[in-house]
Amino acid sequence: MDYSNLRRQAASMKKGLFDQGLLDEQFRQVEDLQDEASPNFVEEVVVVFFKDSCRLISNLEQALEKYPRDFNRWDAYMQQLKGSCSSIGASRMKNECMLFRDNCGKGNVEGCMGCLQKLKREHAILRQKLESYFQLLRQAGPAGAATRPVM
Amino acid sequence: MASLVKALLVEDARVDALVLSAMLHRFHCEVTIAKNGKEAVDMFFEGKKFDIVLCDNDMPIMNGPEAVEKIRAMGETDVKIIGLSSDKNVQEVFMTAGVDVFFPKPLKIDVLGAMIQEVINKKRNSMV
Repeated sequence: MDYSNLRRQAASMKKGLFDQGLLDEQFRQVEDLQDEASPNFVEEVVVVFFKDSCRLISNLEQALEKYPRDFNRWDAYMQQLKGSCSSIGASRMKNECMLFRDNCGKGNVEGCMGCLQKLKREHAILRQKLESYFQLLRQAGPAGAATRPVM
Repeated sequence: MASLVKALLVEDARVDALVLSAMLHRFHCEVTIAKNGKEAVDMFFEGKKFDIVLCDNDMPIMNGPEAVEKIRAMGETDVKIIGLSSDKNVQEVFMTAGVDVFFPKPLKIDVLGAMIQEVINKKRNSMV
């Protein structure tokens, strides 16, 4: 197998994630924390992020239904998600979180609903692209790399 | 390498805890994690000592500023406490509670490095 070609593909894929605005500089900060002692650190953080973000989005959807026009509650959920997005550099998701919070501030229910749908789309896009990226990295990595965590 | 700095990370968000913990380890800190303000306060109450505390704002059971206030009220005035939040509006609340400094999240590693170096310098000076 041509590992150097796979690594080039992975690098190109990652560049695309930054060029498309899906990721920002914070993701590089997370990458810088990966070392020999934690060779899969970035993927582990991303796995935790998607587990937590799925839960937070689900909680928010339930809150939208169960607590209509409770903008403080909706904002509190979104604040948590925005924080996680910031921590891994999920830039487009973070922007949708901020727009949602702006709509909460304005008491705009339709705006909130629209933002949530966009956020879910961005979430799905980022998840799919990062899954592909890490899959490629695993193929390109050295033999005996750690087993794939479940995303 | 023996750890120079004992760090307490008070953080309920798992992603943030992972990233901040890794940053602290990068500076060879011995890291303890509390999942909310009450756990942090209990650790101090049990007599545990830390050189630096990184404290999030919004946590279940007890939030960051409340925990910081209680820690300082115990007489823990030497420990360096850093307030962290993605909400910049809570800076004043944290400062009133008694943090030494507030930083917005995400915390940059070079900023954390500078804080840890201050703690190390202070420890060295106190040993002279």
